[in-house]
Amino acid sequence: MTLWTLVRFLHVLSAMLWVGGQLTVSLIVLPLARRRLDAEQRGAVLTAIGKRFGQFTVAFFLPVQLGTGIALAWHKGVTWASLAEPGYGRILAAKLLLFCAVMVVSALHGAASTRGRPRFARAMAVTGLVASVGVVLLATALPAT
Amino acid sequence: MTSTDVRIKAHPDPSEPPRPRSSWHARANAVVLAWLALTAVAVAVGGSFGLPRWLLIHLFLLGAVTNAIVTWSEQFATTLGRLPEPGRRRTAARLAALNAGVAAVVLGVVLGRPVVAVCGTATVVGVVAWHTWQLLARARRALPGRFGYVVHWYACAGVALVAGGTLGGLLVSERVPNAWDPRLEAAHAHANLLGWIGLTVIGTLFTLWPTVLRTRIVDGVAGLARWALALAGPGLALAVAALAAGFRWGAVAGLLLYAAAVALTLVPFVRTARRKRPSTAPAWTLAASVCWFAVAVTADLYLVATTPPDGVADAVEPLVPLVLAGFVGQVLLGSLTFLLPVVLGGGPAALKRTAALLEKGWTVRLAAVNAAVPLVALPVPTWLAHTAWAVLLAELAVFVALASTAVLNARGHRIAPSPAVAGTALGSVLTALAVVVAVSGPGLPFGAGAVEANGETRTVDVALGAMTIDPGVVEVEAGTELVLRVTNEDTQQHDLRMGNGAHTPTLGPGESATLEVGVVTASMEGWCTLMGHRAMGMVMNVEVTGSDAVADGAEDDSGHAGHEAHPGTDSAASSDLSGEMGPDWRPYDAELAPAPGGTEHEVEIRASETEQEVAPGVTQAVWTFNGSVPGPVLRGKVGDVFTVTFVNDGTMGHGIDFHAGALAPDEPMRTIQPGERLTYRFRAERAGAWLYHCSTMPMLLHMGNGMYGAVIIDPPDLEPVDHEYVLVQGEVYLGEPGSQEQVDAMRDGEPDAWAFNGTASGYDHAPLTAKAGDRVRVWLVAAGPASGTSFHVVGAQFDTVYKEGAYLLRPDDPGGAQALDLAPAQGGFVETVFPEAGTYPFVDHDFRHGENGAHGVFEIEE
Repeated sequence: MTLWTLVRFLHVLSAMLWVGGQLTVSLIVLPLARRRLDAEQRGAVLTAIGKRFGQFTVAFFLPVQLGTGIALAWHKGVTWASLAEPGYGRILAAKLLLFCAVMVVSALHGAASTRGRPRFARAMAVTGLVASVGVVLLATALPAT
Repeated sequence: MTSTDVRIKAHPDPSEPPRPRSSWHARANAVVLAWLALTAVAVAVGGSFGLPRWLLIHLFLLGAVTNAIVTWSEQFATTLGRLPEPGRRRTAARLAALNAGVAAVVLGVVLGRPVVAVCGTATVVGVVAWHTWQLLARARRALPGRFGYVVHWYACAGVALVAGGTLGGLLVSERVPNAWDPRLEAAHAHANLLGWIGLTVIGTLFTLWPTVLRTRIVDGVAGLARWALALAGPGLALAVAALAAGFRWGAVAGLLLYAAAVALTLVPFVRTARRKRPSTAPAWTLAASVCWFAVAVTADLYLVATTPPDGVADAVEPLVPLVLAGFVGQVLLGSLTFLLPVVLGGGPAALKRTAALLEKGWTVRLAAVNAAVPLVALPVPTWLAHTAWAVLLAELAVFVALASTAVLNARGHRIAPSPAVAGTALGSVLTALAVVVAVSGPGLPFGAGAVEANGETRTVDVALGAMTIDPGVVEVEAGTELVLRVTNEDTQQHDLRMGNGAHTPTLGPGESATLEVGVVTASMEGWCTLMGHRAMGMVMNVEVTGSDAVADGAEDDSGHAGHEAHPGTDSAASSDLSGEMGPDWRPYDAELAPAPGGTEHEVEIRASETEQEVAPGVTQAVWTFNGSVPGPVLRGKVGDVFTVTFVNDGTMGHGIDFHAGALAPDEPMRTIQPGERLTYRFRAERAGAWLYHCSTMPMLLHMGNGMYGAVIIDPPDLEPVDHEYVLVQGEVYLGEPGSQEQVDAMRDGEPDAWAFNGTASGYDHAPLTAKAGDRVRVWLVAAGPASGTSFHVVGAQFDTVYKEGAYLLRPDDPGGAQALDLAPAQGGFVETVFPEAGTYPFVDHDFRHGENGAHGVFEIEE
């Protein structure tokens, strides 16, 4: 148990909240909302959830994830050049690229939601969810040290 | 036929509900677009991450192109051959199976799972076989139509893929001997590129080309198409079979037939273009692609004709990007530019809109692409090649973006897929791409290793020099990912192969490569695989440090050339030189003919590796000029010009160096690779007995294995004599050429035997003859490589000695000579008159040599 354990714990916890939260919304909340709520209520609730999730993302998830992530990389001695090297560097690079893609897709989801394009918004939401599971997959492929 | 016949796929009326068939094709084309997008991403990523070329080629050809061919060949065959409609469900199932197969091939190879790759290959081959069989079966049921020949072209293409795909399956299975790989690879590439893709494209263009130009098909095409196929099909079959069997001239004959067929099909192509000048993007793109195809077929024919069978795969490698970008890429993009608007439909206005969208900026794009295509195939500076690739990639990205927009626009008034499905698909594609990036290169997290990767990566610069590798030792901790940046700083070719099989391509002078050795779990050796270089010291060691280092032992590579006897090489010591020569042995003809007339001599000398009886009962692998040790004797007069065509028929680099000519060595003495030739022209300005020898490093090894010979330039006043003989003294080193033992013996100057004209004690068994009282002149050249000679004829005295361009003794001098001493690479002659009949031995009077092979006899008769 060192300080770095705590940093890594924060990194994992924040990712867990974000990915897990999305999964919970998509797999549990949404189907129930469709069945139990009428269209108007459903829209209001889901919009609220979406807004809250967006706030959580910007205010907590992104700062924590980027802060701890950069700190962990620095601790491990990752450099720009080492990102291109096969093995750890390349897996990390792929994970970062996929993470950037998830962020772009999430931003598109937010924009589409507020501009009233629900189908595109939904497609982007699912894309982001699947790709963030991919980020977790790559994270587990990083050799733990 | 008019162009409308093919355009029946278009929606004539926007008010009509969309027809499912068209939507189905739009979906099938979306699959093609998806593979194209993957290719573009892989190329972009490959620039910085070094994805293997294999992956790019197969994402494009197997992913995008094969999908397009299966979809469109069926569509065209159905329309043109008036075949019954195929079953929708079956077609969809086939396409699904095809894509599953392609994905399995790609993933199997990328993840290093041969079983998965082979299953994928089998699926792809099976799907295409099924597709071909269905086409033929439906064609039999159909009414005979004017365009029935199209089906036959597609069927031949399908057969080509079944053959080419099977070869590909063998290659990825890793179950065939590595030695077969180059030939199988060459056959695989030819079957698939010229057959599966080439035949399909040609068959399609017979009708697509006039349709794109919006003109009628010229007369007589049907008959010509049948003729051309009758040439192309058997020609290709012959070429592929001959390439796989390593039969060069069979391959050339087959490719000639194929090229003739291509030339034949160009006739209606050009006639159509002359009737109606191309003016649209698809027309110009298709025209450009056909030009590149013709270029590629011609270049391929030349390369196959001039390269030994095992070198074909490497030789045609530069053509692959040209075929990919110039021919296949442009055909695909040109066809899609024409067909997508038709397929997406939506009425004439929508069709025009889609076409305009796809053709945005086409003149600039077309010019840029066709300027870039030759640059990716030719040996241009790296930055230029990278720029060219960037241009091609940009065009691909632009097209995919435009086409995707067109598909999405068209989807606007169609049933769109559910957002959940679309989202899952897009998310999966993104994840798959990231995983591909993550696992590219060796030392993957999925590749099982005894030692866990420790996550560290070490990059080391390695310089290949003249028979050295610097650094000689690289120390890494167990589990470290090792990356070597290898640069060839020598003036000749080298490569680097590591004990775990990772290797660089052959690097020319100044070239570099990044070698991803992978996670190092145990110490291993690295070496240059070029003949003899390893034995000459081009070796490095990767040594594992750290407490968890695995004891070495498993890594001792069985490919070590030195410790196994060459088949046909008798490694018995040279002790018994009194034995009998084998029944097939023929002595090297020592009798020297007078210099031929004329002052210009044209000679062809071919380097080759063969076997020769180098001592009684001892057969040894030797490297030769014109098949014998020593090579042919050239003779002329002072001032004569020799034009030597030097051809390398061997399996490694060779060169030639004539001491008889004075010139800058840079060009004529350069090393040429197997299959290459050079012209070496020199004027013999000075008389002497001159050495010539192989100029390729390590010369000790090349000369020690037999690559030397003599050039005799007569002094101006040379008197005729009764007999003239030439003896080239050399050394015999037994064992596998280039092996550590042989090279060690050479470096220590410890030959197994010495020999006059290539065979130790050869002239004991085939005496040289003369009559008593005859004047005999013996020309001598000491080829070494390590030792000179002291030539003596037992029982005779020399009255003439000519050494290194000057007479030391003339007949009217009062003195005599007993031996001619020559250091390595010196030459001269002696003359003697034998006093009476008898057997006169001739020896190198250094009896370490003389009693160990440098021995022969003169039989002098009355």
